[in-house]
Amino acid sequence: MTKDSPDQKVERPPRSSAEWVSFILASLICATIAGLVVYSWIIERDRPPILKVEAVGNVRAENGQFYIPFEVTNVEGQTVESVQVIAELEIGNEIKETGDLEIDFLTQGEKEEGAFVFKHNPRDGKLRFRIASYRLP
Amino acid sequence: MAANRLKNLSAWRDELDDLIRGASGGFLFGIPLLYTMEVWWIGSSVQPPRILMAMLLTFAIIFLLNRTEGFRKVSDTNALNAAMDSIEAIAIGITCTGLILFLLREIDGRTPLAEMLGKLVYESIPFALGVALANQFLGDDRQSGRQPKKQNHHHRSSNSKQFNATLADIGGTLIGATVIGFNIAPTDEVSMLATAVSGPWLLAVMIVSLIISYAIVFQAEFSNQDKREQQQGIFQRPLSETFASYIISLLAAAMMLLLFDRLSWSDPWQQWLSYIILLGLPATIGGAAGRLAV
Repeated sequence: MTKDSPDQKVERPPRSSAEWVSFILASLICATIAGLVVYSWIIERDRPPILKVEAVGNVRAENGQFYIPFEVTNVEGQTVESVQVIAELEIGNEIKETGDLEIDFLTQGEKEEGAFVFKHNPRDGKLRFRIASYRLP
Repeated sequence: MAANRLKNLSAWRDELDDLIRGASGGFLFGIPLLYTMEVWWIGSSVQPPRILMAMLLTFAIIFLLNRTEGFRKVSDTNALNAAMDSIEAIAIGITCTGLILFLLREIDGRTPLAEMLGKLVYESIPFALGVALANQFLGDDRQSGRQPKKQNHHHRSSNSKQFNATLADIGGTLIGATVIGFNIAPTDEVSMLATAVSGPWLLAVMIVSLIISYAIVFQAEFSNQDKREQQQGIFQRPLSETFASYIISLLAAAMMLLLFDRLSWSDPWQQWLSYIILLGLPATIGGAAGRLAV
């Protein structure tokens, strides 16, 4: 790297209109981001999370297995980690099959989709989803 | 009147060059962290006060860097200008980071606001540092003058010179691509990204890779740019050089993925394609820096 020696230093001319335009745009970008951070801080503050899990779409049967799609949502409140989703299939008063899956992160308003793969047809019984646990970051 | 218009036009061109130079420095420094899933996760879960703190800390560091060098062609250590340039460096970082995160499907229209802000700010920190360090990376033309370095004029046939120049280009691209790619190839990020990035997005990644590579070598006005423009060899024109070096970077990416066992011969060709194109983006950026360094 070439370093300017003091006697070689080139005086910077006054900012051109192009430089002012890019500075104004840059300031707008930074101010918008900072403003949005403050906004999300205000709306998220100290509110405990509310998590929801529900079946979405149709169950798909492939090669003797049943793919059951679901969606988990952090309806409101702070970000959570390691959300454990459990699905239970009850046929004739007996839990025939269970599945569990862990979602890494769910921020406020975030939705994650996934699917459980069961051997039994969920239409033959009662399918239940629930959130078993989560961790606060 | 005409002279004024010309001066105005030249000021806009200079400004664009400065911004491209800054963004190029950002890509060189920030791309490995853009391919780091832990940073995505931290960005997803971090609390807003920490994001604000990160922005302030970034500003402070970049302000100090801009007091010494910065990304502009004209050096100035004036505090006010350094502060203004720091805001621009952060904005360049946020914009380019947003573009790459969007391209890699790490943020989209459905990403919650808090997560998007966390990812954007945390990923843009090294990027903005790269913007401020742009001149330090590969030197600049300010003091080295606009004259290209003289080529070796030994008594060699022009074919031999062309061959050597081509070999130097290929070598530089391979070295640069390998240096950056080696940080990313063995990790799980490429396979994770491949599940989300497909079809038209892969095409977009290819186009962006070519644009960034072209910008670093032929637009950012790092030192050696004039030399690059007069480089001999089979990659004589900027466009053909950019395309040829992209192919070389893709080959380097494929070799690294094979070496680290991330791809095997039995994998489907779609997997090969997506992995290579995704690792090709950082590899091309490294390759561009490598060609400037030779």
